Amino acid sequence: MPSVEISHRDMEVLLGRRLSLDELRKLLTIAKCPVEKVDGDTIKVEAKDTNRPDLWSSEGMAREIRFRTTKPGLRVYELARSGIEVIVDKSVREVRPFTACSVVRNLKLDQAALSQMIQLQEKVASNYGGGRRDIAIGVYDLDKIKPPIRYTTVEPDGIKFVPLDFEKELTPRDILTKHPKGLEFGHLLAQAKRYPMFIDSSGEVMSIPPIINSNFSGKVGERTRKVFVECSGFDLVRLSTALNVVSAALAERGGRISQVKVRYADRTILTPDLKPGKAELDLSHFRGLSDLQISSREARDLLRRSGYGIVGEKGGKLQVLYPAYRRDVMHERDLMEDMLISHGYDRIRPQPLRLPTVGASSEIEEFSGLISSLMIGLGFQQVLSYTLTNRHNLFSKFNLEDQPVIELENPVSSSWSIFRNWLLPCVVEFLSNNTHVDYPQRVFEIGDVVIPDESRETKAVDRRKLACAIAGAVAGYQDISSALDAVLRSLGLQCGLRACSHPSFIEGRVAEILMDSGRIGVIGEISPAVLEHWKIEVPISACEVDAGVLLERVAGIR
Amino acid sequence: MPERFRLTEEGKRYLKRGLPEHNLLSALQAGPLTVGQAGRTVDNLNIALQWGKKRGWIRIEGGAIHLVKTPDAIPEQEALKSVSRGEAVSEELTRILVQRKLIVPESALLEELQHLEGKAVTQLTPEMMSTGFWKKVKLKPYDVTVLGARIYPAKLQPYNHFLSGLRRKLVELGFREMTGPTIETEFWNYDALYQPQAHPARNWFSTFYLKGASLGELPNVASEVKKAHERGVSGSTGWGYRWNPATARRLMPRAQGTALSARTLAEGPLTPGKYFAIARCYRPDVIDALHAVEFNQVEGIVVDESLTFKNLLGILEMFAREVAMVEEIEFIPDYYPFTEPSVQMSGKHPDMGWVEIGGAGIFREELTKPLGVQVPVIAWGLGVDRLAMFKLGLTDIRELFSRDLDWMRKTTVI
Repeated sequence: MPSVEISHRDMEVLLGRRLSLDELRKLLTIAKCPVEKVDGDTIKVEAKDTNRPDLWSSEGMAREIRFRTTKPGLRVYELARSGIEVIVDKSVREVRPFTACSVVRNLKLDQAALSQMIQLQEKVASNYGGGRRDIAIGVYDLDKIKPPIRYTTVEPDGIKFVPLDFEKELTPRDILTKHPKGLEFGHLLAQAKRYPMFIDSSGEVMSIPPIINSNFSGKVGERTRKVFVECSGFDLVRLSTALNVVSAALAERGGRISQVKVRYADRTILTPDLKPGKAELDLSHFRGLSDLQISSREARDLLRRSGYGIVGEKGGKLQVLYPAYRRDVMHERDLMEDMLISHGYDRIRPQPLRLPTVGASSEIEEFSGLISSLMIGLGFQQVLSYTLTNRHNLFSKFNLEDQPVIELENPVSSSWSIFRNWLLPCVVEFLSNNTHVDYPQRVFEIGDVVIPDESRETKAVDRRKLACAIAGAVAGYQDISSALDAVLRSLGLQCGLRACSHPSFIEGRVAEILMDSGRIGVIGEISPAVLEHWKIEVPISACEVDAGVLLERVAGIR
Repeated sequence: MPERFRLTEEGKRYLKRGLPEHNLLSALQAGPLTVGQAGRTVDNLNIALQWGKKRGWIRIEGGAIHLVKTPDAIPEQEALKSVSRGEAVSEELTRILVQRKLIVPESALLEELQHLEGKAVTQLTPEMMSTGFWKKVKLKPYDVTVLGARIYPAKLQPYNHFLSGLRRKLVELGFREMTGPTIETEFWNYDALYQPQAHPARNWFSTFYLKGASLGELPNVASEVKKAHERGVSGSTGWGYRWNPATARRLMPRAQGTALSARTLAEGPLTPGKYFAIARCYRPDVIDALHAVEFNQVEGIVVDESLTFKNLLGILEMFAREVAMVEEIEFIPDYYPFTEPSVQMSGKHPDMGWVEIGGAGIFREELTKPLGVQVPVIAWGLGVDRLAMFKLGLTDIRELFSRDLDWMRKTTVI
């Protein structure tokens, strides 16, 4: 969801009339670009639709608003031929195989227009183009370019030019290590032996995509009258859409789009291709989905107010044209939503559901609730922790060797880097945060742990555990075992205890909890060394038991 | 009039649990025991040994206690029962029971209480009750306006309490709870929801990946999902790219609760069916007062042939009233990758003002058809954490998983 900044005044210019902030706010909301923040003339909107890059600039937003207010119907762009050619060298196949280009003339770019152009380029490349990996966009001052243009590759040290906003000539390799954009996007060329390059016929470098333009031709300002636009990347369809979005936005400011001949080794294409796409809308489907009794005429009107064109009707199906800057129309549902928005959500009366269904909470949650009520009855306060934790808390602070766990590859913080595979550490961590609070403290948690398990569909399995602890001057084995016993007896269950050895507990004061000769948990007094690690100065007795097994047994009893 | 006797506290205990010597004899039925072993099962073992030897029922030999003979009955035990019923027992047994401090003559009790006669006392005792002496004292009044020491009941964790209430509400509204694994395949988290493999959320910055993890398994419906992505189904063009099964098999912690809805649909939901999940989700967000890497999503689906866009609004309206307790609401267009059309609902909360309450949409056919569902499915989600924070008086989302015991003890449950 890109966040886009626009100017209130600029919107008025594009819409050709004055608008109050409230009015503009409403219109933007309907265009799925709700206002987030207003700072003087600057309005920050959140463009909700990640598939509508055409709405990521004021030109696109204004166009969308015009459909619903003053100028319904398909927006048609006249195309001229620029006579300019881009020759694509075979070597780009290895690094960045495709480009599509356009020329826009007759421009008058003021500050608002310039900042919108730059912002749109950035947002499209980063949000629609996978952080410039899939799509990079360059805009150049056509007056400084001598066609034909070559899209080719160059050795990292094979050429020198002044990159945008620099004064010194650098080689492409230097740009990657010295220029801010090189540092930011250099990783996209890390594997490349040769770098992609746009260069004109006089040998002036235009850019090293997807990194940086040259300072000479790649700089566009208020005096620029015509621009050359290129998109490069890996998916010709997607990058053509991006080119259409940028070209159409410039055309909204009076620019005239011309096509460019892009010569590949095996074919030549004319870009941009602004031919509208075709879709069908079955009126009965729309009536069914919307539960609105709408005539064909009204339906056409709704479509036109959403920026679509209608070329006819075949067997109850409206033949619809959608603009070439949109690639999100995949299914008639996409048309239907736009029609509903144009109709107005606020004009549709909500209808309550009347379905005969029976509600139920899940068995494990129901059972966890039961156990919680028993624990509370025994005076234990419930606590709730994150399932993410770290090795230090889970193992070393409990005197344990490392164990196999599910670990994040890209944690945001080392504190939350693995999934807990036992629950007791979370409870003890909680107690360690409350050493200043009155003792005794009796707490419990019931929650999931995640265990690696290669036999499972997702190579891991969740287990629901109960962990409880008593901390205070008197917190012995007898206290915790009688609590455990009380819970189990209330569930109609019985467990056995078998002395065992466990590094987290005091030797001779720890037992395995057994049920039908299977181990379902551990109980004992926490080792003073562990308490020291947690900076806890009172004894703790604690236990952890597999609530999932208890549920299975209880269900078996029933 | 013969002397009346009362059982002492110890006498009452033995009446209930048996005299120590009786319990020892029972334990010895299975064979000799060491003193240590006997001590674990028999309270007051010393008394038991003393009387057992005196009566010739046991002998101690080589550190073990052996049974010599088992009496038909233990007279003291029978006598204790009789006294408790107010019946007279032989002088000899009375003497032994008094000596063993298991009974006490009422006169002795009264004698002890005598000095309190006519006085004002603070404590009403069991002796006063059993002898009727309470009639002869005056119970001092308290300052009943003074509270006792402050204590705190154990209770549910506040955020969990909130979620439990929400769960109950959703069940009352006819929704069934869905559950699913914490670790998911990208398939269920994204592909099955028709999110293309190049979707902006499917990267290092928006999705957690697992270290050194092998790949998960794909279900049978994967081939249909592949078709939907590549060429489209049900009149759709699809995304038009080459779908990679290896990407779909990658493992990740669930990033959105909708993964559970996808699984429910693939398993064959009830029709009509209403489902919900309170799903723990994980995303590599910047951690601040409004974002945590681990959080809950509350969402679900409604499945039925009859569903329309008007029902979509109807469901949201119901949630506004029943869950968020707001009356004034507003529907606005929104975008979710897997629903079309999509609606967001804001509501005017009496104290919080206008807030985003939730969103809903009708699942795209590119999602439902490959999973084998032919009828419309409404998907909904509720932004409950802000509601929870408001209710609990919190300003930081991390405090929902509070680590402050003092706050939990003191906070109200209302």
